[in-house]
Amino acid sequence: MSCITCNSTTTPTMKDFQSKNIFTWCTNCGNYGIHTALRRALVSKKIPACRTLTCFDIGCNGNGSDKIGGYNFHGLHGRSIPLAVGAEMANRKVTVIAFGGDGGTLGEGIGHLVHAVRGNYNITFVLHNNLNYGLTKGQASPTSKKNMKMNSSPDGATSELLHPAKFVLSLESTFVARSFSGDVKHMTKVFEQALDHKGFSFVEIMQSCPTYNKETPHEWYMDRVYDVESIKGYDSSNREQALKIAQDQEDKVNGEAREGDLGQKIAIGVLYQDKKSVPQIDRQPNRNGSVGTKIKTDAYEETKQYNISKLLEKFR
Amino acid sequence: MNFKNRFVVKVVGESGQGVNSIGEVLAKALKDNGLFIFGYREYPSLIKGGDASYQIDIANKEIKSSSAQCDVLMCLVRSSFKKYLKSVRENGSIIHSVVKLTPTPEEELFIKENKINVEFIPAKDIAVELGGKRIMSNTIMLGAIWQIFGLEITGLEDNIRQIFSRKPEVIEINLKCLNTGHDYDLSKLQKPKLGLRETKNFKDDLLMSGNHAIGLGAIAAGVRVYYSYPMTPSSSILSYLSSVYHETGMIVKQIEDEISVANMAIGSMHMGARTMIATSGGGFDLMTETVSLSGITETPFVCVIAQRPGPGTGLPTWTSASDLNLAIYSGHGEYTKCVVAAHDIASCYTVTQQAFNIAEKYQIPVIILTEKQIAESIFQVDKMPQDIPIERHIVEGQELEKVISQDRYKNTETGVSLRWLPGSCDATFDANGDEHLSDGSLTEDAVMVKEIYEKRIRKEEYLLKDLPEPEVFGSKNPDLSFVGWGSVKNSMLDVIDILNERGKKKIAYLHYEYVYPLKTEVFQKFAKNAKKLVLIENNATGQLGNLITSKTGVLLKNRLLKFDGRPFFLEDIIEYIEKIDHTESEE
Repeated sequence: MSCITCNSTTTPTMKDFQSKNIFTWCTNCGNYGIHTALRRALVSKKIPACRTLTCFDIGCNGNGSDKIGGYNFHGLHGRSIPLAVGAEMANRKVTVIAFGGDGGTLGEGIGHLVHAVRGNYNITFVLHNNLNYGLTKGQASPTSKKNMKMNSSPDGATSELLHPAKFVLSLESTFVARSFSGDVKHMTKVFEQALDHKGFSFVEIMQSCPTYNKETPHEWYMDRVYDVESIKGYDSSNREQALKIAQDQEDKVNGEAREGDLGQKIAIGVLYQDKKSVPQIDRQPNRNGSVGTKIKTDAYEETKQYNISKLLEKFR
Repeated sequence: MNFKNRFVVKVVGESGQGVNSIGEVLAKALKDNGLFIFGYREYPSLIKGGDASYQIDIANKEIKSSSAQCDVLMCLVRSSFKKYLKSVRENGSIIHSVVKLTPTPEEELFIKENKINVEFIPAKDIAVELGGKRIMSNTIMLGAIWQIFGLEITGLEDNIRQIFSRKPEVIEINLKCLNTGHDYDLSKLQKPKLGLRETKNFKDDLLMSGNHAIGLGAIAAGVRVYYSYPMTPSSSILSYLSSVYHETGMIVKQIEDEISVANMAIGSMHMGARTMIATSGGGFDLMTETVSLSGITETPFVCVIAQRPGPGTGLPTWTSASDLNLAIYSGHGEYTKCVVAAHDIASCYTVTQQAFNIAEKYQIPVIILTEKQIAESIFQVDKMPQDIPIERHIVEGQELEKVISQDRYKNTETGVSLRWLPGSCDATFDANGDEHLSDGSLTEDAVMVKEIYEKRIRKEEYLLKDLPEPEVFGSKNPDLSFVGWGSVKNSMLDVIDILNERGKKKIAYLHYEYVYPLKTEVFQKFAKNAKKLVLIENNATGQLGNLITSKTGVLLKNRLLKFDGRPFFLEDIIEYIEKIDHTESEE
């Protein structure tokens, strides 16, 4: 392992990202696969545990905050994005990954998602989309299907649902990917690309919830997903095309597609990526060298007594 | 009420008419020419229209407060004439540029009864006649007011040259306007008899607002990140830090909302970058869940609340000290926090630096309270106070080899555990907003939960020992003993000074700068020694007084409370003291 201060380097292993704590998720919960895939991706990208910060939402995903190695921060409901973004602004040497559920991210904290996309902060964000509020025992979330009968809506949810990938693609996002929690190998591949991306990497994991969402278990997704890479000549730099593809989830989840349509299928993989993306931290004109000298350090290592005497001239 | 050693000029007009510019130039010129000023602004919450004022209290020694009344009212528009006429003292003057101003019978009566001199200067016509633009009427009015002080016009000319240094083509005409205004016959008007300051290097004096001092304090304290969502009266911290971010290299970012601001601050602080945020009461309401998160994860957190009157949007551009309770009781659950209240330039500068040391030493949220009266008023100081050495209490270097994950939230005597930065060491931990064990792992075990809960609360004991006691000013054997916090101090000390000169009532004032947790020893002595104890606060319910009572049992029955959006003017306090005299003699 290696640290900023100790500098001894060995290749990180899966063990480094393990935790002594016992998992508390339901059997068959999608979270197991997500954690495994993320650990694999971190190891394959040679990111040491001591240079990883995972930021968690409140919800079932958040109960995993002490179940994965590296540094963790279990923040507030719906606020894992600004927490992670703040950490990333202060220290570029630590890889920051944030998690959020569909409720926290698209309900409580949707503003944060929009502005993190706009700002293109250099974090990987994993949306655990299990189409409901699991930890509070199965209420409808912004991604629950209309008319779906849930704990808080016994006659069915009455609002239209929100499609995460389509929504994020409609903003000036720089990385939008989808995977599903039953395919660890695929998720690992997507996470690797997300970790490589310089900017806000949005990864939606279509996740099973064996307890509260009986409609879309792993098998349901398994029957429908296909990787965009299997489309001949798919150009992930084409936002229009990505938007069109992302529509399939809408068609499918709403149950409006006819048999045999493309709508039968749900595309996964990296739907869109802007490879020229410049992350927010590198856009600061007073630090990136575009005006004045470039500041090479990160904010976390810059705290020292500053002499203000020159600044006082303006007040004389 | 007349003050022997104070002269007050109030510039009034429509918001956007240049009231501030006239005030700022005049304040600086007076400072540069050997006087001492305090600048107080009133303005409505809009960009153009509505009445605005810039009041300059002038003396030949340090002052930090405003009078309710002025000696000279400089008026640029009819509506302001109506609104501010009654702020002119007996024998005072009005200089105005309002064409065809006919006072109403009621106004006429007030002018007559108070023997007020009214002088009209057709400033806009003069400006145009001289070949300038109508806006240059402001320069004419500036020249006119300068005449009253009997100071050399060259002193003001230098300031005009400086202001227009980027527009050299308008310097000549502005100087012409200035001199024409200066030569206007205003011999009837009363002139100040202040005398100049004895010190010679007054040009080096600084003119700045409390928000500037907080910004400078943050820079000195090594703050490297500033996040903010604009909210009056905190916004000028954001604009100041942005204006100097090339010099400082600080990350200064406007963020989409206060909830993000607070959470980003936690994120940056967690990584070890000193991060400051500021808002006003309403914005802080949105942050309070995050204050609580700082409490349980023991992440240092520093937020400035520049107070204005609530509830709701309240009076966005006016002053108040009604968010002490908000600060003290912010955030759900129980945990240690610290609330400090600044009052002037030195205080804003040092308290900001101290706040970071306290936040990092105890790993707690620290809230800095200021008020619009402090945040936006213009103070004159000869120098900034000594910097406070940075104390971070972060495990670094070789020491990192010894730490284990369980040290992060280890139960210690003081309740403070070791803190190290993510990325610095193999001993990783979970900063867990859920209740946790010493390495941050989640727990709901009754014994463990109680232990760590107590640990976080226990910090308060040690913090309290660390904090300075309140300070006592004025008479050692007082007739009246005041207790207060915030900008009240500035007014109280000026009042004590005035009353000392008059040789009247002996007054003492006890000031809380470090408000919470509350130090009580000095207060207890003060209360014991007091013939009459008076609570003075810029709010309606006496929030500090109630806190003191809850901690000491001492009742503060006499209360001078003000909650109309205005600060304590000298007259408010002096009249209260005189009235107490009166009621006592009746007793």
